[in-house]
This record gives sequence, structure tokens and C-alpha cells, in this order.
Amino acid sequence: MGYVHDTHMAQIIPPTAFHFSTATITYVAGQVAGTIVAHRAAANQTSLITIPIMIPSNSSGLKGAMLNSIEIDYEILVAEPTSLTWTLNKVTRGADGAVAVVAAVTKTNTLSAATGKAVDQHRETITLTTPTWIDNDEYYLLEGSMVAGAGGNTSDFLGAVANFTLRL
Amino acid sequence: MGFVNDTHMAQIIPPTMFHCVTGTWTLAAGAVAGTIAKHVAATDETSVITIPVTLPSNSVGLKGSYLVSIEVDFEILVADCDALAAVVNKVTRGADGAVAVVAAQTFTYDAGHDSAAERIDVDQHRMTLTLATPIWIDNDEYVLVEITADKAATTTMDFLAAVANYTARL
Repeated sequence: MGYVHDTHMAQIIPPTAFHFSTATITYVAGQVAGTIVAHRAAANQTSLITIPIMIPSNSSGLKGAMLNSIEIDYEILVAEPTSLTWTLNKVTRGADGAVAVVAAVTKTNTLSAATGKAVDQHRETITLTTPTWIDNDEYYLLEGSMVAGAGGNTSDFLGAVANFTLRL
Repeated sequence: MGFVNDTHMAQIIPPTMFHCVTGTWTLAAGAVAGTIAKHVAATDETSVITIPVTLPSNSVGLKGSYLVSIEVDFEILVADCDALAAVVNKVTRGADGAVAVVAAQTFTYDAGHDSAAERIDVDQHRMTLTLATPIWIDNDEYVLVEITADKAATTTMDFLAAVANYTARL
């Protein structure tokens, strides 16, 4: 019943789908009228920003979605944090009675450590070294660790985009 | 490489994805058992509810998703709103170091919501916003539906979900 192999697919992931821990987050209007953000209040703490990569998967090998890269749109406001680092994890779901298994995925970033934490608008692209077909027992989480430091830092997270190949 | 052009695709967007500013918002059971809602408590205030239209996009022109309309399911409870209006915005993402650019899209309300009075009454609502010019969504773009609800002192509201109607071309 047909065959699709589209290498140019993308999926928006809104900030309302993000998962935050150790942070005071509010959902507010963005800096540009008409945009939306998850806003992190200033605090000297290390916050985790975890983005679930919500693209289709498939129980057949080499079908469904092959994840190539993820872009994150965010703004560092007021004060530069000490660091902001990104880790991409593949989660293999546990069977009933078993825990999930997490494996870090090798990737590259477009922004240097210094650039990615500067006070500015940012579009960071995380590219998988080896793009992967996603099994129905797996999903991906992109985790940002922000060490705010003494400046406290406020930041706005606008959304993310997953770039993938779709094969059906 | 195959070809899909399906003009009848739809995507549910649950209320948990909605972005709500101003108001005391809670995730609550809907008025009908088994449904879910994002509920705003009674206060005389203006709340802004923004719905991210989470459709796939494509970096190739005339492919991916062609957004035609968005339906929003909500209920106004207890007392009429003072006003309620929608805006459909297309956001073009900024490059690194640049802000996003927002462009309002021209649309029409369905016949049951094309007057201000029809949008504010105590009732169940399915409000359809149809784009005057449907849009192919590029991978550097996304669409936000923004509803501004000016509530009366005793008005409460439940937002159940939204549905985006689109053509998928792959």
C-alpha cells in the first residue's frame, strides 16, 4: 500500500511539552508578542530541562522515524549562567516489572559552550553522529543541564524541532 | 519513492499542551465524565490561551502539512464572558542570535462563532477557525492559535482540546 521515504520531515515540540526540574517555571508570553515560552526564574541552582522527542516510531526495523537532529530555541536573559550542556538519551522502555534503560547518544552541537550560554537568542542544533530508527520500545529525551551560578540567570524556552526521516 | 496526498488528516491537541497566561488554571475532569479539561477559576480578568499547532512540517516546499483549519473545543460555565476572540499566528523561528517573527494569518470563524455574542455565551463551543489561505508549514515555522477571553467575575471555562485539520503530503 505505497511507500514513503521523506528525508525532510520536522516536528515542532512546544514548551508546554517540556519537563523541568529544580526550577521555578512559569508559562508566559515570549519576548516577541504572539510567541509563548516556559520562563525560568532567577535562582542560583542547577536546573534540568528535558525535552521529549515526540515523533512516530515503528516496531519494524528501518521503518517509522529516523531521528537526525534536534533544534532548541531559547533565550538567555539578564545574566549568563555558568554553563548549559545538552545530553541526548535514548530510553528503552522496561517490560512490565522492569526498569527502563537509558543510553547516552553520541552527538555534536552547533554552538560552542561559551556561545550557547551567552545572553542572546539561541538556536542550538544537536546532531546525532549516527541517526537512528526509533523502535516502538524506545524514545528519546534531550536533557539540558543549566548551572545558573551566582548571577541566577533567567531564561525563556520557546520550543524545539526534531528533524527526521519518515519511512512508511 | 511513493506519494501520499491525504486531504482529510486531523491532529488532536490535548489541553495539557495549551499555554495559559493569567488566571488560576488547573487540570480537571471535564463536565462529561471521562473527559479532561484545563479549567480556569472564576475571576474578572483577561486570560490568554495559546494553542501550539503540533503538526509535522517539512523543509521542502509544498510538502509536509498544509494547515487548513483549527477547531477549539471549550465550555463557558456559570456566566458569559465579556469578550472572546482568536488570533492565528504563524511564527518564523529566529536564527541563532535573532528573534522570532510573528505574522497574523487571516481567517474566518464558523457560522456559529462569527459574531462576538456567539463566542461568549454559557454553552459548549466548537469554534472553527478556517484560514483564508491555507499554509504549508516549513520546518522553520510553526503556528499558534491565541484565544483572549475576557471573563466576568463568575465565569469559569473548560478547554477540552483542539483539532488541526490539514493535508499531509509525503
